[in-house]
Amino acid sequence: MSGAPPSSEPEIRPFGDSALLAVLGDRMDVELNARVHELAGSIRRVRQHGDRRWGTPVAGYCSLLVPYDLEQVTYGEAHDGLLGLIRSLGDATRLFAPSPVVEIPVRYGGADGPDLEGVAERLALTSAQLVELHTANAYRVFLLGFVPGFAYLGPLPRELVLPRRATPRQRVPRGSVAIAGEQTGVYPLETPGGWHLLGRTDAVLWDVHRQPPALLQPGALVRFVAVG
Amino acid sequence: MLEVVTPGLLSTIQDAGRPDYADVGVPTAGACDPLALAAANLLLGNDAGSPALEMTLTGPELRVLTTCVAGLAGADLGAHVEDRALAPGATHLLWAGSTVSFRGGSGARAYLSLPGGIDAPQVLGSASTYLPAGFGGLEGRALLPGDRLVPLSPVDPDRAGLRWPDRLLQPAYASSPTLRVVAGPHHDRFARDALDSLRDQDWEVRPESDRMGVRVSAASPLGVRLERGELLSEGMVWGAVQVPTDGQPIILMADHQTVGGYPVLAVVIRADRPLLGQLAPGDRVRFASVTLEEAQQAYQEQQDGLRKVAVRLGRKDPWDLLVDSAAG
Repeated sequence: MSGAPPSSEPEIRPFGDSALLAVLGDRMDVELNARVHELAGSIRRVRQHGDRRWGTPVAGYCSLLVPYDLEQVTYGEAHDGLLGLIRSLGDATRLFAPSPVVEIPVRYGGADGPDLEGVAERLALTSAQLVELHTANAYRVFLLGFVPGFAYLGPLPRELVLPRRATPRQRVPRGSVAIAGEQTGVYPLETPGGWHLLGRTDAVLWDVHRQPPALLQPGALVRFVAVG
Repeated sequence: MLEVVTPGLLSTIQDAGRPDYADVGVPTAGACDPLALAAANLLLGNDAGSPALEMTLTGPELRVLTTCVAGLAGADLGAHVEDRALAPGATHLLWAGSTVSFRGGSGARAYLSLPGGIDAPQVLGSASTYLPAGFGGLEGRALLPGDRLVPLSPVDPDRAGLRWPDRLLQPAYASSPTLRVVAGPHHDRFARDALDSLRDQDWEVRPESDRMGVRVSAASPLGVRLERGELLSEGMVWGAVQVPTDGQPIILMADHQTVGGYPVLAVVIRADRPLLGQLAPGDRVRFASVTLEEAQQAYQEQQDGLRKVAVRLGRKDPWDLLVDSAAG
């Protein structure tokens, strides 16, 4: 389903009595998502400059959740303030300022990637071709969620798109590199999970005692590198 | 200082939470009943959001190692020191050698505060325990036998015997409360009468409810328009009434995931988070619509009330708040 291009007047909806949802589109799209992160960045900047009306913005694929302090502003004031920030966003060229690429070394297959062979078979690829496709391009951190430090990365090459596992695993080991739908990601903690496990990394995606604790920040670029 | 003999069903250190890391997937956590946390702390002259003990349904048994004063607020879970009942919404002197126990009561969550707050390391700006990722509080876990609860400030015995002054600020912890909601952001993904159907029936709290969310069910599930496809994941808020395809809502709470993909029909207003946090399995709950202006006013009144009480409690000798000794 392809939606309309981003309109000049974004939709701002109340999300409860102390947050707004800025809806910038209705599809999974790198450009739309870049605009979401640009808006998040502009809210972070005004917060750093002492504007305490706003809370921490949370990116979705094509929307931004923006909490506000309902003791300081009414819904109408918050709405107008956010609209002003959206209107002052840079033009499209600014949105694609090069981001540093975070490289994540991955041991593919074997005990580290128990689903690699089965997935390759289902996609009519060899394991080597699958790894080559998975490591070919840099992915965008569309958003974080599920558990602390879990980044939803994409878009995945079309050849690798597969529905998630019919039965989720009770325990996915920390550091597992996985795919599902148009997305890929790394499990930062041992959790249940329904994605297909292709490999594993020693990179520490989440360390609560590190600053910043999440290796992957919203909007960053990520490339997987196959290691022996 | 208190020592844990038995931990109870789920007892964790919670404070006002950590709102600043939601963009990297960290839930706010913190007390599910923020008003009760504030009351337990303000009674002792602490900052409203200081770390306290959140106890769930079945409270712990605590041995008093050194004489101290504790604040108690939230649900009445049947607190006793030895055989003497301890009222919630008050401070109590606990003598060394005695034992505090909870014998069962009503509501879901009670809060116990100690002078200055309970000592626990700050993780990402908060002492709140977040169990799914194992950080905050005491080593990222619920209390275990042998754990010690240490106050951050010296004990002032004059603080014992104070009671919370404002009845209006003690929410009615009924087992059949009404939660006020505003319309959610995804009304176009529901059958036209879904909001009516949310308001017009009793909902029962299901046992799978936890700190992430309160699950409720009713005779007529809510109609979700599946033809609209799945929602792309987006940010979520505390109080969101999320509706999965089975039409039985989950009302998000302190530990809710930062993003979600179920449509949100309505959102519980901020002033009613305390009531949400006190829902126990089997309770019946109703929903009523208010406007954003009414929601904001309700929260403003709640916060103004808290500040007024804080000023009174902050005075050196708040004699007007002393419990009549005859009334115990």
